[in-house]
Amino acid sequence: MELEKILVPVSGNSADEETIKLACSLAKKSKAKIYVVYVIQVKRSLPLDAGIESEIKKAEDVLTRAEDIAAEEDYEVETDLLQAREVGPAIVDEAMEREVNLILMGIGYKKRFGMFSLGMAVPYILKEASCRVMLLREPPP
Amino acid sequence: MYIIIVGGGVVGYHLCRALIDEGHEVLVIEKDAKKCERFLDELGSICMRGDGCETAILAEAGASRADLLIATTNEDEDNLVACQVAKHKFNVPRTIARINNPKNEKLFKRLGIDCGISITNILLEHIEEEIPTHPLIHLLTLPKENLEIVEVKIPEGSKAVGKAVKQIPLPPDSLLSLLIRNAQKPQVPSPETVFKAGDRIIALTSTESEQALREVLTTK
Amino acid sequence: MKVVIMGCGRVGAQLASLLDAEGHKVTILDIDAYSFRRLPPSFNGTALVGDGTDEDTLKKAGIEEADAFVAVTQGDNRNVMAAQIAKHIFNIPRVLCRIYDPLRKDLYEMLGVEAISPTIVFAHLFKERLEAGTKAKT
Repeated sequence: MELEKILVPVSGNSADEETIKLACSLAKKSKAKIYVVYVIQVKRSLPLDAGIESEIKKAEDVLTRAEDIAAEEDYEVETDLLQAREVGPAIVDEAMEREVNLILMGIGYKKRFGMFSLGMAVPYILKEASCRVMLLREPPP
Repeated sequence: MYIIIVGGGVVGYHLCRALIDEGHEVLVIEKDAKKCERFLDELGSICMRGDGCETAILAEAGASRADLLIATTNEDEDNLVACQVAKHKFNVPRTIARINNPKNEKLFKRLGIDCGISITNILLEHIEEEIPTHPLIHLLTLPKENLEIVEVKIPEGSKAVGKAVKQIPLPPDSLLSLLIRNAQKPQVPSPETVFKAGDRIIALTSTESEQALREVLTTK
Repeated sequence: MKVVIMGCGRVGAQLASLLDAEGHKVTILDIDAYSFRRLPPSFNGTALVGDGTDEDTLKKAGIEEADAFVAVTQGDNRNVMAAQIAKHIFNIPRVLCRIYDPLRKDLYEMLGVEAISPTIVFAHLFKERLEAGTKAKT
């Protein structure tokens, strides 16, 4: 797999760290560029460009941590903060715009209503992204 | 403007596209998952799945910051309720309802819908314009004043032919504003003006007197 | 009293037969004639096939002389639309309608339609019964 650009969506979950480490090790061989993105989901009751301070603060913390993790791996990443109505389409669009070869995402082992759940964004990205997609799932707790 | 469209059928879909092109922020609320998917695929995250008549859904849609809500489903009762909830619960300043049964046009007006649009009545108006034998054409409605501007063609053999304006028992709240005769310059009719067959009259009338005006000018 | 009921479901039919048994003059509307099977054989009122959100149908049902109108079809929106026609077009003194969505009940009361939400009524009823049962035990 020829890698030039990797998109790593992060959300502040338990899988972020391993995902970024994995991205770094994948990228090193071909000196690929890593874009780490955080998507703030904006409720319809607010305009899309609303500045929600608490959310921005959280996003910036998550992205700074991503940079730190990459630095520990001796690699540099570019971070980006997006605002969208829905996470899935925002990531697919971002991947297309940046012409990445791979989307690498990590998720925790989550249950919803007592059943294992991938959430909304992951299935959408798996179905709609035009590039390769890798999913890292954390072990069950 | 932030515009909410309730109903993602054919009307809702094309309306949505047109409004996006005009640069508005648009959200469509649609019950059917398949229809929602089409919006998502073609136009991005501008569609929410749910019942646009439900208070909870409209709250989630951010109705309280909407400038306009347009209800386009093919059920009149749903359009009525969506507009009423938007207006009274979320203070949406303007609501427009699609009316499927033309009988409901008056009703919607009385129940406080800002604007009800009956496709059937619009088609009828166009038929009036397109078919030249039709004696009365609606040109413009001034809803606040309850007035209409209409065009009446004096047909061959009408009782009005050969009579002067002052001899015609015009309804009290109507006014003949302009007379158009063949190639001549349009003129303002005076009480002495005599009608000829083929004359076109532009008149101002109250909605109630429209029928009476048509009768005095066109009855044979 | 003369009552027009829209919707001959279980509730509509039950209400119609209760009022009828007490000697009230009842007309019940439904868009499906099959629904009238729910009326008891002893029912003396009128059953009419028609849409209660249509003014002409309501006139046929004698709404102009009615003292009360009740809308109990399956659809909240149909009930609310018919109730508003009865209230604001025909000026019926007493108009009641069923509305499942509890969030909209207050709104329609604001618009002059008396609404009953079975969702709220039943939830409270069950809660009361449950609490009464627990008290009895302890």
